[in-house]
Amino acid sequence: MSDYREKNKVVVQIGPQHPSLKEPGSFKITLDGEKVERAVIEIGYNHRGIEKACESRNYIQALYIIERVCGICSHAHTSCFCQAFEEIAGLEVPRRAHYIRGIVGELERLHSHLLWLGVASHEIGFDTLFMYTWRDRELVLDLLARIGGNRVNYGVNTYGGVRRDLEPELMQDILTVCDLLEEKLKYYADLALTETTLIARLRGIGTLLPEDVRKYSAVGPVARAAGIMDDVRITEPYGVFREIAVNGITDDHCDVYGRTLVRVKEMLEAIRLIRIMVKEIPDGPISVRPPRKLPVGESLSRVEAPRGEDIHYIRSNGGESPDRVRVRAPSEANWHGMSHMLEGFQLADVPIIIAAIDPCYSCTDRAIHLIGDGINQLTDWAQIRALSIEQYKARGIDPGSIKIREF
Amino acid sequence: MNTEETILALNKHFPALEAVSNRPLRVFTAFAEPKAFEETLRYANLTLGYHKGKHIIGTDEGENIGLSYIISNDEDVLLVLRERVPKSAPHVHSMGELYPSLMLHEREMVDLFGVQVSGLPEGPRYPLPDCWPDGEYPMRKEWNPAYFNKQTVTYEPPKQEDAK
Amino acid sequence: MLLSIFKVLVFPGLLFLGTYSFLLEFIDRKVYARMQNRKGPPWYQPMADMLKLIGKKVIVPRNAQKFVFAALPTVSLAAVCAAFLCIPVFGSTAITAYSGDLVAVLYLLTIPTLCHFLAGYNSHEVYSTIGAFRTLTQMFAYEVPLFLAFLSPAILAGSWSISGIAAFYMAHPLYTLINIPAFLVSLLASQSKLERSPFDAPEAETEIVGGALVEYSGRYLAFFRATAITELTAMASVLAALFLPFFTGSVWLDFALYLVKTFSIVLVMVLLRATMARIRIDQTLKFFWSILTPIAMAQMILNLLLRGGLGL
Repeated sequence: MSDYREKNKVVVQIGPQHPSLKEPGSFKITLDGEKVERAVIEIGYNHRGIEKACESRNYIQALYIIERVCGICSHAHTSCFCQAFEEIAGLEVPRRAHYIRGIVGELERLHSHLLWLGVASHEIGFDTLFMYTWRDRELVLDLLARIGGNRVNYGVNTYGGVRRDLEPELMQDILTVCDLLEEKLKYYADLALTETTLIARLRGIGTLLPEDVRKYSAVGPVARAAGIMDDVRITEPYGVFREIAVNGITDDHCDVYGRTLVRVKEMLEAIRLIRIMVKEIPDGPISVRPPRKLPVGESLSRVEAPRGEDIHYIRSNGGESPDRVRVRAPSEANWHGMSHMLEGFQLADVPIIIAAIDPCYSCTDRAIHLIGDGINQLTDWAQIRALSIEQYKARGIDPGSIKIREF
Repeated sequence: MNTEETILALNKHFPALEAVSNRPLRVFTAFAEPKAFEETLRYANLTLGYHKGKHIIGTDEGENIGLSYIISNDEDVLLVLRERVPKSAPHVHSMGELYPSLMLHEREMVDLFGVQVSGLPEGPRYPLPDCWPDGEYPMRKEWNPAYFNKQTVTYEPPKQEDAK
Repeated sequence: MLLSIFKVLVFPGLLFLGTYSFLLEFIDRKVYARMQNRKGPPWYQPMADMLKLIGKKVIVPRNAQKFVFAALPTVSLAAVCAAFLCIPVFGSTAITAYSGDLVAVLYLLTIPTLCHFLAGYNSHEVYSTIGAFRTLTQMFAYEVPLFLAFLSPAILAGSWSISGIAAFYMAHPLYTLINIPAFLVSLLASQSKLERSPFDAPEAETEIVGGALVEYSGRYLAFFRATAITELTAMASVLAALFLPFFTGSVWLDFALYLVKTFSIVLVMVLLRATMARIRIDQTLKFFWSILTPIAMAQMILNLLLRGGLGL
């Protein structure tokens, strides 16, 4: 860690490893005392090569990979991808499938925003709220595990519809969980409006005014906190939202506090939508049979992920594998304004400003993972294992007989 | 300015673009040379009101590299304007003064496709790491991830004779 | 002579201090966890943590002065232990009581904060330097209200010795009620002195990783952590002696009362810790200087007037 001292300025490097960052990202902050003067942001540490991987796999395998772009907004990504596929193929998805996609999507919005609330409170040192919100999140995750089989990356979507149906008892349990959560969410909304230390830490920082939102093309709760109604469910209704109207939530604070309020209110709105969808879900088939090869064509599709507008692009040249897949996750759009949002505020505000755009670094980067960096000594897996066995032998334990799976 | 009006305006001023729309809120155009593309982009931004830069999609078109700029306006119409440059001389200008939010994606084009974008301000590369070997552009179709050696961080394609 | 050594070393001196500090630390963590709907650690956790830390390897940064690096934890622990000896625990008189020991205790309790700052500064590392400067800035915030609030009951009692103050209030119990504003001020100022939430900006884990002690490990970190928990006990004891001076005269009963009093003060501190977010260092400064200092000053003036007026 180097620090340049020109006058009184110190360069603090936050990341790539830092307790406040849940995923790696490098922020070189030039400080003048406690005030942030300049912030240089480097992301790309989570780049995994997803788009290239999709080009060499068929569509079913590509769907599996797209789901794993992100753990928290996985359903939004697959919904968008399936929508793009269905547009090119000209498939008509049954109504029941749309409703199931909508229910799972809103449950995902609930769990994502609860996670965000917990992480944001942890960043400002309010661990009690962190524990409470994550305890409530467990209710949603258990439901999702029952619906899809997995707490995250639940493979509910497929081309032409959904893979799993919702039985009546499950729908009853969904309504019970909604009732339980609504009580707690009203408490959090009240807390956000009245707790002094919370407001003191969140108010007036990370400001992004409406003209800056347009300039840096921020999406999702970041844009909605500046009073701009930017919700794909309203501007371009898809799926179940062609039949059910969504009340868009906006706020006028333009800062981190506004984003908090928008997310809490969106959770209450999600509960209202889930209740309507569970009540009015029609009977019928849950999927239609998709073709194996897509006709030649391209499509751009959008859904409202918990973090904002998610755009997927598929180009097909008639084969079994896509010709080009492109994922523009909402977090990517929100990074552009980050330097602007950080400058002028204090070092203590940096973690919460970064957390307030709800960054999903995995969604943003999709590159190739490297082992070793060429500067220090490179050791491969076998050498590391031999070294550790040696160290344990020196202490009298012999782990050499343990068999581990080869990767 | 909604979808139909956009298509009418574009086809009147730039008929070579063949702007079409297969569904509401989408307008697709054909590939253009960089100069014509920049003119169209400027026209769309200043006259038609498409001031939101959403994304850039880079594509490998065999001999050329295509850049598709997705921009949108206040009515949320997604307009796709495309430019095409040959792989042997991929020079384009940055559209950063019109769309500051697209500069990150132009850097992505530099790293992943090897496009040379002039006019980008100083900044860290995105998204590849600093030790990535020069001249290797992963998103080009001819680049095969199987030949990338992760230990030595080098690309080792098989010799021509072995590949047969 | 032997009795004095026993009193200083075992009970109610250092051994008692160590044991009671572990107990209070356990109460702190357990109640904090239960408030957060978690289980919390078992009763031996603070001891286990201390033993584990003592067994770990010590890494001294290259740029740090080794002697200072090693001496600071010991000095701060010694200062807190010395301060504890002047506070009444068993009965209403401390092990060593002399005129002016209140001022001595206050000075001795400032030493750990200075050692904290020096530890951070000595480590020569960005995060620790920021943490060290925040420690000092926070001291600048809470020192004045804390001292004013602690000295107010002394002024009313007309004695600079904690044991003397306790004796005064034992004789005139109703005058304790006059000091309630000072009690509240000193509760908040103690919370800030101990660097506990909401005033734990110097040790903000999500901002500056570990604050001033980020480069400390092994037995040195163990001693700093021991300082933190003994400081909690010491502050709670001072607060109990100055602001909750209810004594019965029988030493064993007073000891039981002491346990109850310190226990309740720690419970109040845990409540403060669990229900509030961490505030920024500039907000801490503003809060202390604009709200707490005027209250403390008003209390001090009131006590001065009452002392003169009542002719005590």
